[in-house]
Amino acid sequence: MKVSPSFLSAILFTLCSSLKLSVADSTFPEFTLHGLVDLRYQHTAAQPSWTDNGLGKFRSGGENNRFLINEGAVTLQTRLGWDWTGTVTAKYSDGQKNPLDLTEAFLQYRPVSTTPWRLGGRLGMFFPPISLENTGTAWSSPYTLTSSVINTWVGEELRTFGGEAHLSYQFDNGDSLGAFAAGLAHNDTTGSLLAWRGWSLHDYEATLNDRLALPENIGIGTHFPQQALMTKPFVEVDGRPGYYAGFNAEHAETIKFRTLFYDNQSNPETIANGQYAWHTQFLSTGLKVELPWQLTLVSQGINGRTRMGEKSAGKRAVDARFWAASLLLSKTIGTHRFSLRHDHFGIDENDFLPQDSNRENGQGWTANYNLTLAQRHQMNFEVTYLDSNRAARTNLNQSSKQEETLWQISYRLFF
Amino acid sequence: MANLLSPVFLKPLFGLLAALLVTPSIAETLLGDVSDDNGAPIADVVVTVMPTTDRLAVANSGKPVIVKLDQQSREFIPHVLPVRVGTPVIFPNSDDIQHHVYSFSSAKQFEIKLYTGTPAKPIVFDRPGVAALGCNIHDWMLSYVFVTDAPYFTKSDASGHWAVEVPPGEYRLSLWHPDASAPIALPNDTLRTPASAALRHTINIKARRQTGKPPETLQSQGYRDEF
Repeated sequence: MKVSPSFLSAILFTLCSSLKLSVADSTFPEFTLHGLVDLRYQHTAAQPSWTDNGLGKFRSGGENNRFLINEGAVTLQTRLGWDWTGTVTAKYSDGQKNPLDLTEAFLQYRPVSTTPWRLGGRLGMFFPPISLENTGTAWSSPYTLTSSVINTWVGEELRTFGGEAHLSYQFDNGDSLGAFAAGLAHNDTTGSLLAWRGWSLHDYEATLNDRLALPENIGIGTHFPQQALMTKPFVEVDGRPGYYAGFNAEHAETIKFRTLFYDNQSNPETIANGQYAWHTQFLSTGLKVELPWQLTLVSQGINGRTRMGEKSAGKRAVDARFWAASLLLSKTIGTHRFSLRHDHFGIDENDFLPQDSNRENGQGWTANYNLTLAQRHQMNFEVTYLDSNRAARTNLNQSSKQEETLWQISYRLFF
Repeated sequence: MANLLSPVFLKPLFGLLAALLVTPSIAETLLGDVSDDNGAPIADVVVTVMPTTDRLAVANSGKPVIVKLDQQSREFIPHVLPVRVGTPVIFPNSDDIQHHVYSFSSAKQFEIKLYTGTPAKPIVFDRPGVAALGCNIHDWMLSYVFVTDAPYFTKSDASGHWAVEVPPGEYRLSLWHPDASAPIALPNDTLRTPASAALRHTINIKARRQTGKPPETLQSQGYRDEF
């Protein structure tokens, strides 16, 4: 039987096109590596730090000067296909429980859209969309070394372990409106640091298998003997998932607005392996505005409640309402940046254990000058001042009102 | 003595006269400068020149020329590309990484996967309007394809200068820039060639502009803050 030339050429054409497709597809996966190395010189005038089981709000305490390797982090982004990316960030940080551990590991789905509607999602371990300042490699900030009070807490006790979906509408002029929601787990202990240690101000992000210090000698062991001596930020205690939902709006290159409501839906009467489940809910709002004369304004606010323990006469063992707000103003002049931020915070309690004091209020200022050279070398000069009043300090024979100051010089290499 | 009116001289004389009458006249140059309210020059301003009479046929002839919109160092080059309606645009991808170009503008909706080393088919921009192009892989990439049915058009350069050659006649000028509120109001938009002087236009431009360039520091490239 004779095979017609046209049939043969049809087969050949199909073979060639499919070969071409597979050869072209083999350009995936595509890898991109980013990272940072952060060296510091610090002068501290503060109370013994919470990292040393105290109630000082910085990462370091006492009166001292020291030089240290503050952090080394690497982010590997793998483009798996036209719509899928995988991102993993691992870091070493001074005082971290495990020398090398993960801060984020997730898959991102972002299909192209030829309509104004855009859909996307993330699956894995990632920061909830709260901070508008931590927009740099490994969640660093281009404005300051030290995160705001709100973002410090996000770094310590908040991570989404689950899936997030986002839908947005893009206008022709570059504006966009979006809504998002996520289901999450492994965030049951969030709130424990706020209730027992209060707000803090630093640049440490908790990692997957991290252990964070709890204050000693303030009565935690007395009132909660089952509580372990440290808190594990990312564990699942009661098997109940939580969620957050919110929306965002953007005016291209100028205004960015984001708000979300979070509820980990924890059963506050459960405990596992020395870790209580804390029912934490909060409303977070953020606004970033690019103003004329190279000025940027970033403002965030948070208002929430955390509850833990059994009920007695209508009250819980721990019931603390927390709030915080920050306002940052930053100006660039070429490769120079000047930033000033004011933080304000407080915690109130209404539980049946006033002896386990959660109450506090305070405010602080952070001033930073940084210079970036050749896109990668960044020198930072920063001073952070905090003035806080926490009643629980009297357990440690400290005045409840404390002023703390941290001077820092940092060299950061970004790659 | 030769007679001046002899055929030897008359023929070329008539020929020259005929050539002058039949050939289209020497092209006129319209040129000008564009600056913002502070006097700083503005690049990428598209200047379109439309005849006030219906003589569009002159420039309509000829096959549409294929135009290039390149991807270099994760940036679209050029940032603004004015083209005639019906122009095919190719995306050569001079980078050694993939790009995924797309547009959802009403003027042209498309997506094209740019593999490295494999040339892609051209996209024909068949409707007048502005198409804003992005890359689905690199968020910051941005380019505008300005599709016009005007027979003559040009774009201002880095020093704000522009120049375009047109046949003598009366024309209506219009200006467009992605960061200026459209339409740009012009005081005298009708002019007749030859233009008496270089035209000067001042445009109000947004303070914060999307340049389409990668983020300035490696720190800002290392984290995606968007959804």
